[in-house]
Amino acid sequence: MSVEITFPALGKDPDQQGVVATWLVRDGEPVTAGQVIAEVAVDKVSVDVEAPTAGTVRLLVPEEGVATPGTVIARIE
Amino acid sequence: MTVTDQPAAASATRRLTTAKAISEAIAQEMERDPEVFVMGEDVAAYGGIFGSTTGLLDQFGPTRIIDTPISETGFIGAGIGAAVEGMRPVVELMFVDFFGVCMDQIYNHMAKIHYESGGNVTVPMVLMTAVGGGYSDGAQHSQCLWGTFAHLPGLKVVVPSNPYDAKGLMTAAIRDDNPVLYMFHKGVMGLPWMAKNPRSIGPVPAESYEVPIGKAAVARPGRDVTVVSLSLSLQRCLDVADELAGEGLEAEVIDLRSVVPLDREAILESVGRTGKIVVVDEDYRSFGLSGEIAATIAESDPGLLRAPFTRVAYPDVPVPYARPLEYEVLPTHRRIREAIVSVAGR
Repeated sequence: MSVEITFPALGKDPDQQGVVATWLVRDGEPVTAGQVIAEVAVDKVSVDVEAPTAGTVRLLVPEEGVATPGTVIARIE
Repeated sequence: MTVTDQPAAASATRRLTTAKAISEAIAQEMERDPEVFVMGEDVAAYGGIFGSTTGLLDQFGPTRIIDTPISETGFIGAGIGAAVEGMRPVVELMFVDFFGVCMDQIYNHMAKIHYESGGNVTVPMVLMTAVGGGYSDGAQHSQCLWGTFAHLPGLKVVVPSNPYDAKGLMTAAIRDDNPVLYMFHKGVMGLPWMAKNPRSIGPVPAESYEVPIGKAAVARPGRDVTVVSLSLSLQRCLDVADELAGEGLEAEVIDLRSVVPLDREAILESVGRTGKIVVVDEDYRSFGLSGEIAATIAESDPGLLRAPFTRVAYPDVPVPYARPLEYEVLPTHRRIREAIVSVAGR
């Protein structure tokens, strides 16, 4: 059973592209529920992304990689 | 001097940006001590324009995280008043370049009250400020100026280069009974919207800890040449040293971490072993940190050096706005590499 983490909607445009600015964890590391695992940005607005559950994180988008709201950027196994 | 005291990589290492490490240190000290509060331009709702106070307003509310009007003399003076009455303010001067309008408060009051009161009144205040260039912000928003403040007696001056030290130095600064100028380079903050070195994101313990003020760290041991630096330039020095190691040249990189007190013993100990030194400093070349290090060596033992004292510093010109011009004068990877190779005699 794995949990998907999606790129959040930061503006009104559902298709607006953003980037995964910084991964604060490495692929395959254990994470705890609520741990901040990434900073994502659209234009110059950035927000933290938290792990929704504990587990092992798998990163699916590279740092500086482009994403749109709903893109699965990581999975917790 | 402490050999790099960062924890070895653990299986579940928590990593933070330098910006998050700073705000976490402030938050933990605010939880521990109700006398700690934050004041400055855009520190509350915006979270600090370089992220040094992100999230603190939500956690502590507007009575302890206070947005101020654009009057640096007013709010730094208010911070000094709070400090002499026993509070422990963390005040942010948005850019160090703005010191021109509030230097009387900083130098004639914050730095001197302890002395002029015969030691009876302390000023346990942290003045934190953003420094440095490299992103085309022009001559009034890009200076480092730690040499300017280090020149003036009465202040401690700390300058972290990575998230671990940033948190520990902020904790130590808040707990210190002296006024501390805490200078963070925008380029070490790990901001999403600014070009960043991976060294700006690193392991940071969740619990509270102090990095001692006045202690340098050996960021990278080596035998061939001593490289002394700080802040963003330190990150570049480590990049260059790693590259040169692949070519058989082992540079020892010392991260000063504090400018005042300056860890002269750490510099002399390393130079005593290598006999060669390169100081890499983004602050102005003349009458500053790099010259002070040269004097330290000359006053101790001029015979320590087996190659000319060498520095990569900012030429004595205002910071250019045009990016190609700015990168001609910054201590870039290329300039640092050329200096180390030249001093090493390779």
